[in-house]
Amino acid sequence: MLAVTGLSVESRLSNVSLEILPGECVGILGPNGAGKSTLLKAMSGLLKATGNVIWQGRILDHIPFIERGRILAWLGQESAVEFAFPVRDVVAQGRFAHNDDGQLVDEAMDALDIVHLAKRPVTELSGGERRRVFLARALATGAPLQLWDEPASSLDVRHALEVYALARRLATNGSSILVSLHDIRAAYRFDRILVMDRGNIAIDGSPHEVLTAPLIRQVFRVEAHFMTSLVPELPRD
Amino acid sequence: MSPSELWGAICGAGDDSSRIIFFDIRLPRTIVGIFVGAGLGASGVVMQAFFRNPLASPGLLGVSSGGALGAVIAIVFATSLGLFTIPFASVLGAFMATGAVMMLARKGASPEHLLLAGVALNALFGAATSFLLSASATHTHLGAQILFWLMGGIENRTWEHVWMAAPGILVASVLLLPLGRPMNLLALGDSGAQSLGVNVRRLRWQLIALSTTLTALATAVGGVIGFVGLVVPHIFRLLDGPNHRRLLPLSMIGGASLVLLCDLPTRFLGSGMRLGVLTSLVGGPFLLWLLRRRSC
Repeated sequence: MLAVTGLSVESRLSNVSLEILPGECVGILGPNGAGKSTLLKAMSGLLKATGNVIWQGRILDHIPFIERGRILAWLGQESAVEFAFPVRDVVAQGRFAHNDDGQLVDEAMDALDIVHLAKRPVTELSGGERRRVFLARALATGAPLQLWDEPASSLDVRHALEVYALARRLATNGSSILVSLHDIRAAYRFDRILVMDRGNIAIDGSPHEVLTAPLIRQVFRVEAHFMTSLVPELPRD
Repeated sequence: MSPSELWGAICGAGDDSSRIIFFDIRLPRTIVGIFVGAGLGASGVVMQAFFRNPLASPGLLGVSSGGALGAVIAIVFATSLGLFTIPFASVLGAFMATGAVMMLARKGASPEHLLLAGVALNALFGAATSFLLSASATHTHLGAQILFWLMGGIENRTWEHVWMAAPGILVASVLLLPLGRPMNLLALGDSGAQSLGVNVRRLRWQLIALSTTLTALATAVGGVIGFVGLVVPHIFRLLDGPNHRRLLPLSMIGGASLVLLCDLPTRFLGSGMRLGVLTSLVGGPFLLWLLRRRSC
């Protein structure tokens, strides 16, 4: 189990506590600047923060970097790339903490539909393709904790759906998934939704409990109309 | 020297003068060139990964100009110049420059901070060096010695110079080679590298210390030799890709080759054609070509 207690980052995140069980697929919603990315970074130990992140009874900050790399995978938003590494080399970086280059690299590339890009320099890819490469790198770690910051931004509809399906599949296999979401409608694909507002978790519950018109009005300052509309899904084959 | 004279000298069969030319003049010069070039090449690779910018080079942090200022101060103020005075002052200057950059940029020490601190220090050291140069212009002897040193070169290097630079450059290179793998991760972003298991803070300190050592020792025995650290890693990145596990050793070999190659014409072209002048003549246009290529 992953437990976060009193996690704070100066002027960006105040006293956040939450628990995520193995097999849970959790989404984070919130307006710009609400603290979604900060929460994910702080939980991954990438920001100076107070409070604790506890993984199976151990404080994450006290676990050596190399071991942490096998426990937790983080996908960030920034991906300005200056060096023309071939795609496969970038995905294989996910195995750094394991010091191997095994089957998981090829599986991750297959899962993100980038096998055909294997030899292409990562600098020459489109934004969406590059996003999938870095997600494959996080996946190749085989880490049971996957923290992704807006993985589906800049992906086309098909690949976005595949990413949500992948998150679901990983959770089914016992991983804990925490994903910040850009698109409020994607929330229905998750077990549980955290809504963040000004550095706090405003609400924590199932998508149907959380996504009500009054809450959306309060947090996002838009009117929500619930109506039947086009809902793309992956084909059932 | 003809090939047969050379062979004679190596086997100990030739006459004394060719033996002296080979063992006491040509050989140390060549060995110094190899270590200086390898050090500058490796240092360039490190700087470019460190700053996540393929246009970074050892001169960027102010390390080279710090070393140069140290040497110039020694030339102007030291009452008696021993063989080691100038190199020692140069190493001291280089490390003080790195220390100053790290102090100025301590808060966070992001590549951008370090880069700007380097720009500031380069300007400062350059001004101090120019001042000393113009102040000593009336003393023709001093002025010439400073200019000579600032333009870099490996002629008249002896075995003492080899012993001064080679062990340090060798040790730093050996320590650097295993860092190629984490450098690959660093090159694609700090947070990502750390989340995958790299101790980014420690790696950055190791890289800055090793690259300063390499630049300082190379500058100490060879003077200011520009562009080797910029051009060589680029050529091999174009030929072989950005994998630092291969790029580091390749750039060491390439740097050594480039320095020896540029040193050849200086033997025939007369006193004006210094090694540092030649590498800059090659490197300047190369950098412009790179900038043009990157902007389209």
